[in-house]
Amino acid sequence: MNDISNKRKILVCCGTGCLASNSYEVYESLKEKLEINPNIIVQIEIKATGCNGLCEKGPVVKIHPDDISYFKVSAKDVDEIIEKTITNGEIINRLLYFDTNQKKKIINHMDASFYKHQRKIALRNIGEIDPLSIEDYLERDGYKALHKVLFEMEPMEVIDEVEKSGLKGRGGAGFPTGTKWRTCSKFEDYPKYVICNGDEGDPGAFMDRSIMEGDPNTIIEGMIICGYSINSNKGYLYIRDEYELARKNMEFAIDKARKLGYLGENIIGSGFDFDLEIVRGGGAFVCGESSALMASIEGNVGEPRAKYIRSVEKGLWNMPTVLNNVETWANIPPIILNGANWFNKIGTENNSGTKVFSLVGKVKNTGLVEIPMGTKLSELVFDIGCGIIKNRPFKAVQTGGPSGGCIPKEYMDVPLDFDSLSKMGSMMGSGGVIVMDDTTCMVEIARYYMEFLSEESCGKCTTCREGIKMMLNILTNITEGRGQLEDIHILESLGKTIMSASLCALGKTAPNPVLTTIQYFRNEYMDHIVNHKCSAGVCKNLTTYFIEEETCIGCGICKKNCPVNAITGSLKEIHVIDEDICIKCGNCFTACPKDSVKIGGAAYAY
Amino acid sequence: MLIKINGKVYNGHDGETLMEVAKRNNINIPSLCYKKGFEGLGRCRLCLVEVNEGKRKKIVSACVYPIRENLEVITKTEDIIKMRKDIILLLLLRSPKNEYIQELAKEYKIVSPERYIQKENDDCILCGLCVTACEKLGTNAISMVNRGITKKVSTPYDDPSKDCIGCGACAEVCPTNAIKLDENNGIRTIWNRDFDLVKCSVCGKYYATEDSLNFIGDKLGSKEDHVCEYCKKKSLASKFKKSFQNIY
Repeated sequence: MNDISNKRKILVCCGTGCLASNSYEVYESLKEKLEINPNIIVQIEIKATGCNGLCEKGPVVKIHPDDISYFKVSAKDVDEIIEKTITNGEIINRLLYFDTNQKKKIINHMDASFYKHQRKIALRNIGEIDPLSIEDYLERDGYKALHKVLFEMEPMEVIDEVEKSGLKGRGGAGFPTGTKWRTCSKFEDYPKYVICNGDEGDPGAFMDRSIMEGDPNTIIEGMIICGYSINSNKGYLYIRDEYELARKNMEFAIDKARKLGYLGENIIGSGFDFDLEIVRGGGAFVCGESSALMASIEGNVGEPRAKYIRSVEKGLWNMPTVLNNVETWANIPPIILNGANWFNKIGTENNSGTKVFSLVGKVKNTGLVEIPMGTKLSELVFDIGCGIIKNRPFKAVQTGGPSGGCIPKEYMDVPLDFDSLSKMGSMMGSGGVIVMDDTTCMVEIARYYMEFLSEESCGKCTTCREGIKMMLNILTNITEGRGQLEDIHILESLGKTIMSASLCALGKTAPNPVLTTIQYFRNEYMDHIVNHKCSAGVCKNLTTYFIEEETCIGCGICKKNCPVNAITGSLKEIHVIDEDICIKCGNCFTACPKDSVKIGGAAYAY
Repeated sequence: MLIKINGKVYNGHDGETLMEVAKRNNINIPSLCYKKGFEGLGRCRLCLVEVNEGKRKKIVSACVYPIRENLEVITKTEDIIKMRKDIILLLLLRSPKNEYIQELAKEYKIVSPERYIQKENDDCILCGLCVTACEKLGTNAISMVNRGITKKVSTPYDDPSKDCIGCGACAEVCPTNAIKLDENNGIRTIWNRDFDLVKCSVCGKYYATEDSLNFIGDKLGSKEDHVCEYCKKKSLASKFKKSFQNIY
């Protein structure tokens, strides 16, 4: 009884999102109950895996070879899963994922809208393997690329291959990886260093975390390959300190790889030495900037330096250094194994391969999505994300993290690649995509990001530190009803100065959210300043709620939902909101079944 | 190597920054955080210039930009002047009551919009010269702390520093006179700590803190006489005079 039909593999997602929904309990309960269940005669393998991407619908349990995927599973579902699905092959309808685009329940998650448009390269193993098992990684072609490099390729051939693949750095700037390696390889100054930037800091982005947690060996393999090609024997992984599980899994994987001879001296008998060390990040957003990151590893204040001399020449401790982001490293082994031509065919010209996006905000499906470069933004939001929550009107998308830009719905067909996003005034950044609906105020969005950056700028140079502070002051004035027309001009003019005069990329991109919202949503700024109105109902000073007499049916739902009893009116009669009592929470606005509650402008002059 | 600044050719050495070449040739590039002898800090951003390296024009800060062969530099363009004005405006909003910043603003004809002037005045513009001076000449007693808009220069935990020797190098290099240094009855107060001052054995004036003299003595490996700079120069001058008298 050992044929495939009698062998089952159960994969329980234990990524951070699912763990937060108690997926480990599900895993342990399954493990314990399967061991003692006398009815189980089939061979069962159960694994705790990394993140499956659709975190919102977690915990996710996948059963192979039946290809059944259950979502939102809790420990109390375990008995039923064992009894019905494992023992009798029955599907539990209740635990299936409902696809709102296809309007049906999906048995195999790969058929769901969220997954079927994806193409996984960097995330290829995540969700399929136990991150703590190097054997699982080896089973899925792990360390084969390293073997090929160490025994069949010269360092220059490795660099040629990476260069030909057209891979661009996935951390934000999109610098060609092969060019970086080649330049570094030319400097005859030793020791050289290889660094993995795992200081993911963009709010809402978690692809690097997911890779470190779910497939640590791919990063290790990518880094050793680079070490071999540039003649470096030492690498550092700078991991954001909040990412405890990522650090733990990386640490475990490094130890295991060392024990099996994939790290350390004379790697798998090749004569090449390379080892890795983990450095815990100090918790500053700016340390994701490469030169600040290196300063931090050296034990100095995490401030960027001017990069007129690039870090490939003088990087960590002034020695030649290659620094790449987590996702970039994860792309290296498949490129080496399958060849540059294979990688080149994916994506578009000049933007080869895939990119992982973290899709968040007012979209139905949120989570990690890996799609070929050049996929349209609309495809990401509507085909994969299944559209806007509650089908509200879609307004804009913010890409590239806090210093990215906002792209309005008119430009939804923009291809998601480095060049197209820059042309829009936004950027790829690390791949954060925040979807916004009509209840989002674009001026407030700009203000929010300036507030974030005012705290997270390193504060070293005047334009970034003081410039962001002034933009924040102006935007606060506008959102609180004290804006003046000249403010828009000052923001635009100051924004340009900050972009060209700041020391590092953080400052140079910081005005993006302000400049793009002015460019695409100037009418909202005007509405705030001239009409004293925030049509999204977000800026409290510029919002009043009133009930439209013509359409109110007097159902009393608004009254019931008002937390401060500001609404009066008898049943079946027109209701009225008392402005003086109203705290502008917006409960009545969202509760009214007839859309009779309307948003008006400011009640007072500020 | 030869580089061109504002159309004229100048000579520079490998490893030199643009600012160093400009200073040597009396070409004025404004800056608040550059001090001869220290490496460029790139913090104040006033020293922005336009460079052309054959490929394309870019804006760089002169104090940290290493010169390269055939570099062409323009120190003043319309864009650059606009940026400098914006930067001075930002500094003026930060330090509206500081006389040095006010002077600079006057030179560039900048009036800050009334609405944006901040109530709290901070004389420190975070140029970082004091931290560098303390690192190079003193004992690393002060450093940049915090980040973003709360960044400041301070001692560890804002407590009186055990490492500080009260040498005053930080106050000496400060371009906006932001570091408080008081001297009263033989006591110097700086960074919330009091230091005993030592009298010059010649003129009898207080001239340096005891801690800083000990620090220098330890570094030189010998104890020097307690003589102030002024008296040292005076005695040196008279020695010269004497030796000249012997010749003629």
